[in-house]
Amino acid sequence: MRDKIIALIEEVLGLPEGIITPETTMDEVEEWDSLAHVMLIGMLEERFGISIPLDEAVEITSVKEILEYAGE
Amino acid sequence: MGESMTEKIAILSNVNMNFVIRGLKNQVDVFETEGYGNELGTLLNPRSSYHAFAPRFLFLLMDLMQLLDGVADDREAEEKIELWFTTLSDGLGEEICYVSDAYLWSAEEQGESGQSHGAVDTATELWLTKKNAWENLWQKRLETFVEKHPNARIFSYKKIVEQLGEEKAFSALTWRMGKIPHSSVMQKALAEEILHRVDVETRVPKKVLLLDLDNTLWGGLAGEHESTPIVLGGEGQGAAYLKMQEIILDMQKQGVVLGIVSKNNVQDAMEVIEKHPEMILRAEHFSAKKINWNLKSENILEIAGELNLGLDSFVFFDDNPAERALVQEMLPQVTVPEFPEAPEDLPRAMTAIYRAYFEKPYVTREDAERTRQYVENAKRLELQQSAVNFESYLKDLEIVAERVDAKDHMERLLQLVNKTNQFNLTTVRYTAEELQELVSDDAHKVYVYRVKDKFGDNGIVAVLIVKLQGQEAIIEEFTMSCRVMGRNIEHAIMDAVEQELRRSGINTLKGSYIPTSKNAPVAELYPALGFECCGSIPCRDGHIYRRDITDGLQRVDHVAWKGEQV
Repeated sequence: MRDKIIALIEEVLGLPEGIITPETTMDEVEEWDSLAHVMLIGMLEERFGISIPLDEAVEITSVKEILEYAGE
Repeated sequence: MGESMTEKIAILSNVNMNFVIRGLKNQVDVFETEGYGNELGTLLNPRSSYHAFAPRFLFLLMDLMQLLDGVADDREAEEKIELWFTTLSDGLGEEICYVSDAYLWSAEEQGESGQSHGAVDTATELWLTKKNAWENLWQKRLETFVEKHPNARIFSYKKIVEQLGEEKAFSALTWRMGKIPHSSVMQKALAEEILHRVDVETRVPKKVLLLDLDNTLWGGLAGEHESTPIVLGGEGQGAAYLKMQEIILDMQKQGVVLGIVSKNNVQDAMEVIEKHPEMILRAEHFSAKKINWNLKSENILEIAGELNLGLDSFVFFDDNPAERALVQEMLPQVTVPEFPEAPEDLPRAMTAIYRAYFEKPYVTREDAERTRQYVENAKRLELQQSAVNFESYLKDLEIVAERVDAKDHMERLLQLVNKTNQFNLTTVRYTAEELQELVSDDAHKVYVYRVKDKFGDNGIVAVLIVKLQGQEAIIEEFTMSCRVMGRNIEHAIMDAVEQELRRSGINTLKGSYIPTSKNAPVAELYPALGFECCGSIPCRDGHIYRRDITDGLQRVDHVAWKGEQV
């Protein structure tokens, strides 16, 4: 699941494979702006059924936090 | 789709479409919107960055729920929709404008899925009534809008939602987080449809679909029904062949010309085509039939000659891979799509062929009548072969020409001046707006002609646009459909035009020929019509011609006139 989520993040941000790691944070990646962030949260729900409550979703700033919601 | 990178497009919306736009960036030159919800303001403000960008295609993807936010009842909804479209009419320029049809969605309401708990509750029922009513109000107004503006089209948004299903198409989460109502799959489908529309608007569509018969139009072999019965109609594969024939008939009604290229005994094949109770495509739907044992490539060359069309206008559909390979090898300009492995996939494959090669942005009346015109042309060709000489052939045709009012045929006019390549002296192209101005401009005269003969109506086939300058008139555009070329109709038309110009005090008529890769057939037209060369256009390799029209020259033709000639 961890790899799938990382692949999804790369897909949404339009990045080649291998850029995103579990340690990546939002401010390190130029493509990870607020618009991409909304799409990312939406696609986690759409593809994997991972629902992150709205008020918490806006607080997320790292891959690590996303993986925690996915139970990784 | 290779050309689309050079096209400029803009997507304006009242909801957040920025991720769709971002996704399209490396495929087209797309306008970067400043936010969303100000689509009309952007269009109306002549100094907006939108106008500086000057897109050729505009996609207005509107969310009806947002547009009608706060509206209390149907009457108020209607007023708001009316206001939106009226304002859009004011802001619309020359760009091709796609406006989405409506699917009313609300993050708060349950749509179709709300009915799953047995009885439909009152709230759901109320919502569905409202959804229906408002979508219809939008649809009706949209249709009127598209009818009135030749450069406006409907963007099939509702169909995309329905194909995905409401649950998959929308996301309440991204809506609440960032005013993005569409799921990622919906966004992807929207982007694909946008690119497809750009492709349809910019490519040259194919004209003729050539079909094999056995195991292509039907299952089994004609003439051997004892051992291999014809599979057509009923269930399973038979239903698939039938469905594909329905799709092909629809294509024919949209102007696709059909032909048969098949290795059969002609009696066996015609028996199925004429007598099989389930056949949808009958003999009259095909403009050309080559049912014989000759090489298919040779048959296709013959059809190209009969229809007077280039090989790049043809698509060849055949279940036999060897025949496909041979045609592709011998006639590389012909498009040869793959044939699906299972007959069940035929309807889908044919729809894909339609979308990939034939679909047009809009269908004119001429498109709808094309097959009849080609069938009639085949009869004319027969007459030409039997007539003793060209003169008597033309006489036998009983050609009748009629001048019609350009204003009544603007769409066809637009098509003729922009799509005709062979009989086109200057290949000047016009936008819809430019033509609108020309037909009501006192300094211009627009001559439009309809031509009939004893085999039928050729429709509107010739256009001549003349600019008046004192006692001189300059032919800016002279275009005639290739369907009626070679019948000296241009002689009759030039006689008529000159006669009318003479009456309004013009004594000199000028025209020019600018060569292109396609218009060599008319290189000598002006000299043949009695014009003298009086100059050249060096940068474009063109020539200028003039003629004193006071002499009242009468050219040889066999055209009778209906109504006032001019």
